[in-house]
Amino acid sequence: MINPMELIDRTIMVTGASSGIGRETAILLSQLGARLILIGRNAEQLNKTLASLEGTAHHVYTFDLSNIDEIPRWMKEVTSASGPLHGLVHSAGLQFTRPLRIMSSENIEELMRVNVTAAIFLAKAFRQKGVSADSGSIVYLSSVMGLVGQSGQSAYSASKGALVTLTKSLALELSRENIRVNCVAPAMVTTEMSGKMLELLTPEQVLQIEAMHPLGLGRPRDVANAIAFLLADTGRWITGTTLVLDGGYTAH
Amino acid sequence: MTQQEFLRELEEVLEADAESIKGDETLADLGSWDSLAVMSFIAMVDENYGVTLAASKLASAKNVEDLIALLGDKISNT
Repeated sequence: MINPMELIDRTIMVTGASSGIGRETAILLSQLGARLILIGRNAEQLNKTLASLEGTAHHVYTFDLSNIDEIPRWMKEVTSASGPLHGLVHSAGLQFTRPLRIMSSENIEELMRVNVTAAIFLAKAFRQKGVSADSGSIVYLSSVMGLVGQSGQSAYSASKGALVTLTKSLALELSRENIRVNCVAPAMVTTEMSGKMLELLTPEQVLQIEAMHPLGLGRPRDVANAIAFLLADTGRWITGTTLVLDGGYTAH
Repeated sequence: MTQQEFLRELEEVLEADAESIKGDETLADLGSWDSLAVMSFIAMVDENYGVTLAASKLASAKNVEDLIALLGDKISNT
């Protein structure tokens, strides 16, 4: 028996590891043999993720990624303790629904800072000497909202669409450094965050959303599997790609 | 927030003329209470009042007074 997605002896950093897709990804990666570095803002939630991981030798750090300029130095410090990284999953991000009539420039700037600027700076930090290993793999979390539109989602769509194209440019810029850069674009996945959102909707609205997913809503593991595929040797020849995981959402 | 401040915010959400909403209207009277207005209202209330409104609760609101009631003591009567 072989496991083409095994990650034994790989060290992988996961941002947004305190909940949802980030947490599930960390759990799966640990089951595939990776050492994890969990990043989030909430220590208690991060420790819950830590407790669910297989194996030992994992690390937990609280850090607020909106401190953009601190990211490179901070990552250098983290990896001087953990050893160089083989992978980085950027799962932290803000979700945001605002029709134009009530959108402020502050809203947009905050969203772009966390969803886009931090993503680019994580790559800037990752490529530093000693921070990443001989070969590295970065996976960003976009969304189907980065590929198709929806009312009230313009700023969020713009931020997630930016990840799709920055993935391509970074893939080209970093190929000579043996770093692959890819992106996943899920439709709605049942997490605590989306559950809270669904609770706010009327039953008719929930049915409408479900109907847009021919295979039903996704599970965090569906996204985690794709991220692991891109990180592991199965992704060796893949860079600059966005893998759509949407139960048929964008097939319409 | 006062009730008057809330009404000005509601005008923004509904894109109604300034000072046009008095507080005794039904939502049907206002005409522009559509899905984007509802989405805007939920976002505005979340941002300005820190209140997370369920769409089901909002769906049962029939008039402006019901909207005010949804925010309870976050809005003073003056």
